[in-house]
Amino acid sequence: MKAINWLMTFAMVLAVTSCIKKEPLNAECDIVAVALPGDLLNRTPIIENDRVTLIVKNHVNITDLAPEFELTPGATIAPPSGTKRDFTEPQTYVVTSEDGEWTKAYTISVQRNNAINLKYGFEDVKVTKSAQGGGYDVFFDVNINETTHQRDTMFWASGNSGFAMTNGKGAPDTYPTFQTDGGHIGKCACLITRTTGVWGAMVNKPIAAGNLFIGKFDLNNAIAKPLEATKFGTPFFNVPRYFSGYFKYTPGEIYQQFNPDAPGKLEAIPGKKDECNIYAVYFESTADMEYLNGANVLSDDNPNIIAVARISEEMRKGASDWTYFHVPFVFREGATIDADKFEDGRYSIAVVMTSSIDGDYFSGAIGSILFVDELEIICL
Amino acid sequence: MNIRNLISAAILTLSSLLAAAQSDRPGDIAKSIILGLEYEINAGINIGGASPLPLPAEIREINSYSPHLNLSIGTTVTKWFDENGGNWGVASGFRFETKGMETDATVKNYGMTIIQDGKEMSGKWTGRVRTKYHTQQLTIPITAVYRINNRWKVNFGPYLAYAFSNEFDGHVYDGYLREGDPTGNKVSFEGDARATYDFGDELRKFQWGVQAGGTWRVFNRLSVNANLTWGLNDIFNKSFKTVTFHMYPIYLNAGFSYVF
Repeated sequence: MKAINWLMTFAMVLAVTSCIKKEPLNAECDIVAVALPGDLLNRTPIIENDRVTLIVKNHVNITDLAPEFELTPGATIAPPSGTKRDFTEPQTYVVTSEDGEWTKAYTISVQRNNAINLKYGFEDVKVTKSAQGGGYDVFFDVNINETTHQRDTMFWASGNSGFAMTNGKGAPDTYPTFQTDGGHIGKCACLITRTTGVWGAMVNKPIAAGNLFIGKFDLNNAIAKPLEATKFGTPFFNVPRYFSGYFKYTPGEIYQQFNPDAPGKLEAIPGKKDECNIYAVYFESTADMEYLNGANVLSDDNPNIIAVARISEEMRKGASDWTYFHVPFVFREGATIDADKFEDGRYSIAVVMTSSIDGDYFSGAIGSILFVDELEIICL
Repeated sequence: MNIRNLISAAILTLSSLLAAAQSDRPGDIAKSIILGLEYEINAGINIGGASPLPLPAEIREINSYSPHLNLSIGTTVTKWFDENGGNWGVASGFRFETKGMETDATVKNYGMTIIQDGKEMSGKWTGRVRTKYHTQQLTIPITAVYRINNRWKVNFGPYLAYAFSNEFDGHVYDGYLREGDPTGNKVSFEGDARATYDFGDELRKFQWGVQAGGTWRVFNRLSVNANLTWGLNDIFNKSFKTVTFHMYPIYLNAGFSYVF
């Protein structure tokens, strides 16, 4: 009987595999890697789904750069690799898939010197469409460099693009992070901890805390390595002293902790209260740690961190009305700023806020709501 | 209905038949045989799978396949048209059977849409898919039978099946999803990261198909038989759009019969 079983299995596998069709041509059209000939880059290129940011050294002439691309196998790019272009303004490239069915336009921008503002009012958003026809807010700030007059747009990062996969046709205000009226001045950022429903539970991500930060959200890592999905920081050419702003916060009713064995993957922790978090970190970008991430952004033993400015524990618990905070950057013992590295743009700043302090571990209270407005990094 | 129920139902059927057969009255069975009816009870195993036909190009590799141990038990009644030893007849009956399989496949750019709680998620998956299919059914075949000689007979005809238990679940892992279409956001699943699914409720209750096979009489009362059953409708309900291609249950039933 056993022999027959094996024979049958073998016959079945043979029958099925023998009719596997010829592999279709690739349908994807990604920029996989970007290189700039010469030692021009200050950071590894940041490649997002339809945007590439090249952070170059300060002396680089950006009017005739010729980036070279690695694409999805078989895909083509126009204009082709090695074409010289003027990157004073962001440039568009179009990638076409191997099967010719799909194209994707990338915006490639080059950033150098100080490219970010020091005050953030959360007045500007751009709605990014989700795959199912909804959309979410992406906050941005436009900076015009005093010396080079270059215009840079800094897009704030958030986990909204991950939430979009679970949120169908939802409007921006159904997302964890969105713009709302009633700011301290004008509009403000609103961060809410939300449930990710069936989909989120399916991939062990049962809640999504509202989060907003300077850096990049790497959606590709969001499920497998969520702590690495939040890449904090951007080059910074100042020495920060204080971090200030306005916020109000109401924690949600029931704190729930991620538990893969609990129904809905969440377990209520009676008596525990949710907290928000607002902080800024000044750090050195090294080859092995260009950005900070969820696992090390506040670690006491992270040698790259130079200074941290963070709201007090009391403030993290809640503030019913707009509350002003003004906290110093506390320099780590023995941390120094090297003049050459400073000139080279080796230092970075990250500003991070979240409606649930344990949100990066998918724990918190659904409904915790944080409003933030008029942030400022005060420098020397 | 689980395996135990199935077996007890089968035993009940079996024992009533045996009881009838052993009756010393010139009973119904004797009469039936005279009328050209032939009774068999069958037991066997099902080996096969639910598969799209032909395999879509998105399926790149079958990494593993397990047929599971699928049992079947039932009866067949054959009516021979000509009592004087004619070769044609018609057979019907019923069988309780399980059909199942477990597969692990590698797919490329495989489109899927999942609707749950009124929310829709769609995308293209490249990577591994593990699927477990298991169903318990009551099947009624109605086949034409042709007697080649004393030992051989073949049959061909449609069958109807009702599933009283359906399972179809699994998970995707070791790959990535592109949200929407191949240009959409990319999300990787590596290591322990997986997305589980359960489409058991979306499986069709009624199925039909055709079966064809042969029976070889080993001894006077014992036959061995093999029947290929080929489902002709998708195992999923029409309204179910997640699995974009139709999947058909194709099983080989091999077993033996006791002929009364």
